Amino acid sequence: MNMIRIKWMMEWRLAAVRNGMKDALAYRWDFLIDFFTQAFVPVGIQLILWHSIFTQSGTTVFGGMKYTELLAYTWTSILFSQVRGGNYDFALIEMIRTGSLSQSLLRPVGPVEFVFWRGFGEKIFTAAFCLFLGLLASYFADRSVLNLLLAMMLAVLGNVIHYLFGATLAAVAFYWENAFAILLVKNMMVSLLSGEVMPLSVFPAKYSWIWESTPFYLYVYGPTQVALGKWSPEVWAHHMMIGFGWCIAFAILLKITWSRSIRQYQGIGG
Amino acid sequence: MKNPQTSIEVTNLKRSFKSVKKESGWRGTLKLLTNPEYITHDALKGINFKIETGEFVGLIGANGAGKTTLLKILSGLIPPTSGEAVVLGYEPFDRKLEFRKQISLVMGQKAQLWWDLPALEAFDLLRAVYQIPRDVYQKRVDELTNLLDVTKLLNTQIRRLSLGERMKMEVIGAILHLPKVIFLDEPTIGLDVLAAHKLRGFLKEHNQKEGATIILTSHNMDDISQLCKRILLIKEGELIYDGDADKLGQRNECQLKVQMINETSIDDLQQSLTSVEARISKDEASDSTFLITIPRAKIAESFQILFQRYSIADVAIQEPSLERIIQQIYQQ
Repeated sequence: MNMIRIKWMMEWRLAAVRNGMKDALAYRWDFLIDFFTQAFVPVGIQLILWHSIFTQSGTTVFGGMKYTELLAYTWTSILFSQVRGGNYDFALIEMIRTGSLSQSLLRPVGPVEFVFWRGFGEKIFTAAFCLFLGLLASYFADRSVLNLLLAMMLAVLGNVIHYLFGATLAAVAFYWENAFAILLVKNMMVSLLSGEVMPLSVFPAKYSWIWESTPFYLYVYGPTQVALGKWSPEVWAHHMMIGFGWCIAFAILLKITWSRSIRQYQGIGG
Repeated sequence: MKNPQTSIEVTNLKRSFKSVKKESGWRGTLKLLTNPEYITHDALKGINFKIETGEFVGLIGANGAGKTTLLKILSGLIPPTSGEAVVLGYEPFDRKLEFRKQISLVMGQKAQLWWDLPALEAFDLLRAVYQIPRDVYQKRVDELTNLLDVTKLLNTQIRRLSLGERMKMEVIGAILHLPKVIFLDEPTIGLDVLAAHKLRGFLKEHNQKEGATIILTSHNMDDISQLCKRILLIKEGELIYDGDADKLGQRNECQLKVQMINETSIDDLQQSLTSVEARISKDEASDSTFLITIPRAKIAESFQILFQRYSIADVAIQEPSLERIIQQIYQQ
């Protein structure tokens, strides 16, 4: 591969990320309100829930965690749940359904990857903002900055896996014309099995294989454990490897599903 | 493709679509859920043609005739059911990288630029996507925006532009990388007279200057008659005319515009001109003026009859508009 080609491959991806960031910030108030409500409303619900459980049942440990540990988990998990929440797979199904995928298909870059980098541009801004908040919190709570950086890397990897999985499912839209419900179900499963709604340690031990056999725990639960110092850098490295494995598996699956199903595309609405 | 001068070659191209038949009412809705019925529609029924490099070709036909389907196949969006299409030496649906770098599709009803961003941001992304060197890109943006009078709007969000301004930006975005083949699907739809005129002038100049092969579909016959020397006319998935736009107008009939001195009726004229198979109507602008459509071969005979039997103030031979000719072909 010559240097010109490598330069081009870098350049268009960076341009797409920049474009996505600008798109995300086109309406700054909408961006900020969306960011904060998405982050704090679920946290508020969880805090009320934990408070009720501990005060009404009189228990001191829930899911292997004390009340203060649960609070720390909940506050820390916000940072990573915001990073994982890319919904650009929904953009893909909308493009297939309305026929607006056509323009992307004709450009000399892959449409799935193009949508990813634009969406990533939006998320990278969120990730940077979350990292800033996390660093601020680490300073005051005397937590490891390195752990937070490692955790954010895992969360970003989770974001990539999340998109690859969603984009693979989005290929169903070529056959059904709309795959909104499938992606909605996927997101509900992710919310439950990623550790976004509650720590995965709450799951009974005999059912832990359920979340362990999906990549979703790498989105929020894993990064939160790293940030809180419960996973060592060695454990982090191990889960990063698992994450890369999922990435490769989904990338292969994505290529197969899209190359087969694209023949069904009709580019309607023209 | 054997001839390097040929940009597009289409051989016995067919395309069918399968769709679900939806009956009205609750029964239809339930049937759709439990036992959907499929219908097959043949959008293209074996089309053949060749387009040389640098040609500006008009692709016309009624709604649902198969024009857009043909453009989608040629641009590589959908595969044909059977037959072959070769564009710039590539099979379009393979969507090879080199092929995609050399073509462009503008759909009047679909935006390719990003709604919430200014056109300049979109152009910059397209520059990176198509590997246009920065100095060349800057020069090209300046030139194209000047030609279309949109330089001042480069930093305005796309969604804030008028339809005409947006369409101009769409066209600039589509030709920024100087594609060798451009597919234009109703680029002047919804544009006012001035904007459409400006866009037509621009497209004509671009075709002449850059030598790009352009296929244009439009329901606006001004677009076709002013830009395209050659016409492909599609009716119900079949190519029914492929040739010069001028010859399409000459091959059938012409129209005489006759102003009478004395009062005359359509019936009377019809009776007099039975032998020349004339079709007669009154000119909307004047009660004493008639529009007489006759076979081109019978002009002399018609004049003879008219001057023998009527007192005529003025007579002119009119070429029927392209729109009228196509309307006639469709009615046949």
